[in-house]
Amino acid sequence: MKGVKISGRPLYLDMQATTPVDPRVIDAMLPYYLSRFGNPHSRTHLYGWESENAVETARAQVASLINASPREIIFTSGATESNNISVKGVMHFYKDKKRHVITTQTEHKCVLDSCRHLQQEGFDVTYLPVQSNGIIDLEKLRAAIRPDTGLVSVMAVNNEIGVIQPIEEIGQICKEFNIPFHTDAAQALGKIPVDVEKMNVSLMSLSGHKIYGPKGIGALYMRRRPRIRVEPQMNGGGQERGIRSGTVPTPLVVGFGAACELAMKEMEYDDTRIRGLQDRLLKGIREKLDGVVVNGCMERRYAGNLNLSFAYVEGESLLMGLKEVAVSSGSACTSASLEPSYVLRALGVEEDMAHTSIRFGIGRFTTEAEIDRAAELTVKQVEKLREMSPLYEMVKEGIDLKSIQWAQH
Amino acid sequence: MTAAPAAPSRAEILSLLRSLLRVSAKFSDYNIREYTRRRTIDGFRQNRTLSDPSSVANAFADGKSELEIAKRQAVVYSLYAPKVKSIIELYSKSGV
Ligand SMILES: Cc1ncc(COP(=O)(O)O)c(C=O)c1O
Repeated sequence: MKGVKISGRPLYLDMQATTPVDPRVIDAMLPYYLSRFGNPHSRTHLYGWESENAVETARAQVASLINASPREIIFTSGATESNNISVKGVMHFYKDKKRHVITTQTEHKCVLDSCRHLQQEGFDVTYLPVQSNGIIDLEKLRAAIRPDTGLVSVMAVNNEIGVIQPIEEIGQICKEFNIPFHTDAAQALGKIPVDVEKMNVSLMSLSGHKIYGPKGIGALYMRRRPRIRVEPQMNGGGQERGIRSGTVPTPLVVGFGAACELAMKEMEYDDTRIRGLQDRLLKGIREKLDGVVVNGCMERRYAGNLNLSFAYVEGESLLMGLKEVAVSSGSACTSASLEPSYVLRALGVEEDMAHTSIRFGIGRFTTEAEIDRAAELTVKQVEKLREMSPLYEMVKEGIDLKSIQWAQH
Repeated sequence: MTAAPAAPSRAEILSLLRSLLRVSAKFSDYNIREYTRRRTIDGFRQNRTLSDPSSVANAFADGKSELEIAKRQAVVYSLYAPKVKSIIELYSKSGV
């Protein structure tokens, strides 16, 4: 950004946006960028065979992390594509009998946009509200189900606030009514246990670059028994069982597979560490500051996502003062607009608090020193802004801000 | 079936640990360097409780392959290291 001078690369606490690639993943990928460049669909020579073998190994690695069969894994370009195929593909395939989709107000943009697209084609969509802790009300889900409901789509872990939806319970309800259940598990994979059998999902979206793998690769899990069918979006050579035509990118797939295998091995170790760091960050900030609110449920939450709002400061100035920390904010997060995030709005977070929200994303490579530094800088900046704030002055004097009658201009 | 590899001696295990720590220090990237060191130490600490010779042998083989990967990747990272260092390294150097 112009006018901001910093002397080093900012410390990175934005693991929900993307993660660094693990060196063990790079190591697995590189051979497929060098001599082993074959097209995995070439049937007539060694180049094709060795690539195909690598792709099938990766497919088994991905499947194993979610307790699926390799035959149920379709490689895609990422969770966005998998979400698009799931939402639009299922509804298009079953359009004669099923005209209704249930999702939530806090889904990722790509699910919400796919639903909007369906609405334009004449389908009905129910956007379930969430409670103030970010979790959906299962009774509201039950009540929303209709005889023509063709899909329920609820994400596992929210990307902005980190709350974990009751996926097993939702799966149970969908089974009871015999409705296909799709979950966007981009932020859950490799971080919390994900099991397609326990969760009773029919479709699941996965992404490589949220689990220390490469960008531009992901997968769609599609259940075989009972079989779920979709209308493909990409037509062509019929790769990936005709669901996703186009040459499978061997190096990316190999990297995604390696990342999944690592995630399985490291999940417990990473989780213990990340919980410790989350605790350290929250304590470090709360010891020095009052008026700090955690957005979203504290109990049902992935520890690597800590979304905080700071009372009595101005959001833009807060972020400007944190240039040495790479974090995301709740406002202006997906675009240049200053609109507060729709996720925080769905939780009923007040506008002023939504504007000061910061998402701290902690990961495998985060250190204690980074956490301490981030806490220190945040505290310093918030204190500085509050010193200049007349509102904070009044609060300290015991005036209830809500009781003030503001003069109209 | 191939025969299970023989369990390594204590000296061999310590030598592997030292090699891993040495190569982890070579990573130009602050986060990767810290992680590789931390994961190595925690891994060896955790594996101290292994008693069954075949699990010891397996853990040793895993460590050896980690070492080969780390050796290669320390080189790759150094080839493409950004000119500007992480802000954290700058702080710890200047003692702030
Ligand atoms: C919950 C969720 N779904 C989908 C995506 C998109 O994933 P991809 O970048 O793999 O398309 C993201 C990441 O931005 C996400 O957090």
